[in-house]
Amino acid sequence: MIRMENVTKVYKGEVLALQNASCEVQRGEFVFLVGPSGSGKSTFMRLLNKEEKPDRGRIYVAGKDIGALPSWKVPFLRRNIGCVFQDFKLLPNKTVVQNVAFALEVIGRPRSVIKEKVPAILELVGLSKKMHNYPDELSGGEQQRVSIARAFVNRPLILLADEPTGNLDPNTSLGIMTLLDRINRTGTTVVMATHDRSIVDKMRRRVVELDRGQIVRDQSRGVYE
Amino acid sequence: MSLKLDYVLRETASNFRRNITLTLATVITVTISLTLLGAALLFGDAVDNATVRWKDGVEFIVFMDPEISPELEEDIRRQLEDAPEVSGFTYIDKDEAFAEVQDLLGDSPELVEVITPERLPASFRVKPTDTLPERVDELAAAFRTQPGVARVVTASETIRAIEDLSSGLRQRVIIIAIVLLVAAAVLILNTIRMALFSRRRDIEVMKLVGATNWFIRVPFMFEGLIQGLVGGVIAIPLIWLTNNFFSVINDDVSLELLRGFTVDPSRVWALGFQMVGLGAIVGTVGSGIAVSRFLDT
Repeated sequence: MIRMENVTKVYKGEVLALQNASCEVQRGEFVFLVGPSGSGKSTFMRLLNKEEKPDRGRIYVAGKDIGALPSWKVPFLRRNIGCVFQDFKLLPNKTVVQNVAFALEVIGRPRSVIKEKVPAILELVGLSKKMHNYPDELSGGEQQRVSIARAFVNRPLILLADEPTGNLDPNTSLGIMTLLDRINRTGTTVVMATHDRSIVDKMRRRVVELDRGQIVRDQSRGVYE
Repeated sequence: MSLKLDYVLRETASNFRRNITLTLATVITVTISLTLLGAALLFGDAVDNATVRWKDGVEFIVFMDPEISPELEEDIRRQLEDAPEVSGFTYIDKDEAFAEVQDLLGDSPELVEVITPERLPASFRVKPTDTLPERVDELAAAFRTQPGVARVVTASETIRAIEDLSSGLRQRVIIIAIVLLVAAAVLILNTIRMALFSRRRDIEVMKLVGATNWFIRVPFMFEGLIQGLVGGVIAIPLIWLTNNFFSVINDDVSLELLRGFTVDPSRVWALGFQMVGLGAIVGTVGSGIAVSRFLDT
């Protein structure tokens, strides 16, 4: 599903974010990206949906070399990749249901599809009762569920989660992990960057460790350290 | 990919509400620049019309010395009759000239009192067969040196003066209008940039979930288009006002020189719609540049 071949990314000619990184992720896998801040986890993610371009190396997503993708096709790549962030990135002036519907609306989905899919996905993430609330009326965990719903409503092949539990307490984090696990079980490939040792140790999934831009460990059913 | 009209309209409406003052400033600038440009073009048309009418009846006037002897006057008349270049002429005697002055200065009787028929020159108004300005000049020059002739005024001199004045004026107004139009485009660009900035979170999410650049771009370009269109539509009645001003000039008897200084209504309408089209282009291009710059970064 994802293949990186000798990828190097340097910011502004001096900050080395990724160095000769190679990595392959199969369809349906669940991968933790771990490592200290600045080790290149976010760059790894941003390269996958072409928010950044590698300086060297090739990246394949769903069998396609995304380096060869013309810029007008990038939006269509992104429709296959859901993204979840530490800071949720919800629109404050839209309700829960509007936030999720927005993601479908702006890729031109018909209203009938939106009407059918949005309540279903909110049911899945357990927010049916708060459909018409605004993000600032929700807890952090609930906001992250909305953001996961938005990322997953279009049934992407890949879900990228950049520290999705970074702002949440341990209990809430566990709930989010259950949700991500459930999404993974539907066949969606999940890549999650995290600092959360207890979660990684508890889930026992594949762990890819980055240190100063290099992949220093790749272990199936691994732990944080 | 389907761009839904109701989506575009909704987005555009909310952007207008957000930036109402900037939108107003933009629309006003578009209106002013398009009105100026339209008025300048209209003025040019009016001058063309006025001078065309003059050209049709080109004539020059031979003013006689007020103390001319009847013999000399008769001599000039005979020359006019004999000259093959002259198709016809009318003789305006002192009394007729006085009557004209009375008409012209009817509003100031104290001036009329000072003037007496004796002080006014009699004149021949000449219609040449060949109305080419150079020929008219030649013919007029031939009479200018005749004994008993005070001066010869050709209509073409007047026409040239009007044309010179108008082309200078027109050029200046058009330059001002173009500068204003560029200012309008920059204002539109800025308005759209403000709108983009206030919606940067939405745009970030849109890019994230895979909205195409055109999908993001269209509502903003539509906003620029509307600003240009509204500015242009408001310019139409203002251009009509300019045209009304022309007919005031035209109807003023004392400005006989400018007879024909008028423009056909269909031309005014056409010009109005051209200005609306120009506004639409300026609006779309300005906003397009703003959005492209924003999306590329």
